[in-house]
Amino acid sequence: MKIAKNVIIVVLGLLLIPVTAVGTAAVKQRFADGPNRVFSGGRLVAGDLHTGPEPDWSFVKDIPTIEMQLVEPARSRRIWVAEAEGKLYVWSGYMSTAVGRLWKRWPVQAERDGRAVLRINGTRYERQLARITSGDVLDGISAAIGSKYPSETTRASVEAGEAWVFEAAPRN
Amino acid sequence: MKYFYRFILVALIVTVIAVAFIPGVDDYIEQTFQQYVGRAAR
Repeated sequence: MKIAKNVIIVVLGLLLIPVTAVGTAAVKQRFADGPNRVFSGGRLVAGDLHTGPEPDWSFVKDIPTIEMQLVEPARSRRIWVAEAEGKLYVWSGYMSTAVGRLWKRWPVQAERDGRAVLRINGTRYERQLARITSGDVLDGISAAIGSKYPSETTRASVEAGEAWVFEAAPRN
Repeated sequence: MKYFYRFILVALIVTVIAVAFIPGVDDYIEQTFQQYVGRAAR
């Protein structure tokens, strides 16, 4: 019995090392200007703030990921981006799995308060995220996503709630 | 077990210091974590 107890203590003790490493890396990233990979970063500070007319977003076709910070809470993450018919879209998959919902909390937060800052090529853009749950517009968005990424985001998956798509519209 | 507890304590302190201050360690940890979470979320 004592051996079993000691084995459990040893296993838990050894598990504590990678858990501590992950926790430390996550906390460290929170204080950084922007995200790295999966851990949220802090407020996006560096970079000029875009003013003036709406940009031609077609240039994002050549950009793999962008940094996105919600105003509330002021945390940033790295996400995929697509352009369709002159509009900018961001999305999150895995929204129907328990792990996905724990991992990807920004879509729920964005639905509550859609104010966001995007940083693309070092320039910051103030946007308003508006969720799209259905409609023909999803056909064009899905095509744009599919042509750019190995993504399983389709109109059906969006309408089923498996993926959450947001238009990053200008903020008024 | 006393030595094991000491070992774990030292290992945790070294881990925190390494991740917080040695360049590249935090990125390696994040990359590894990303692989596991990505698999689990599918």
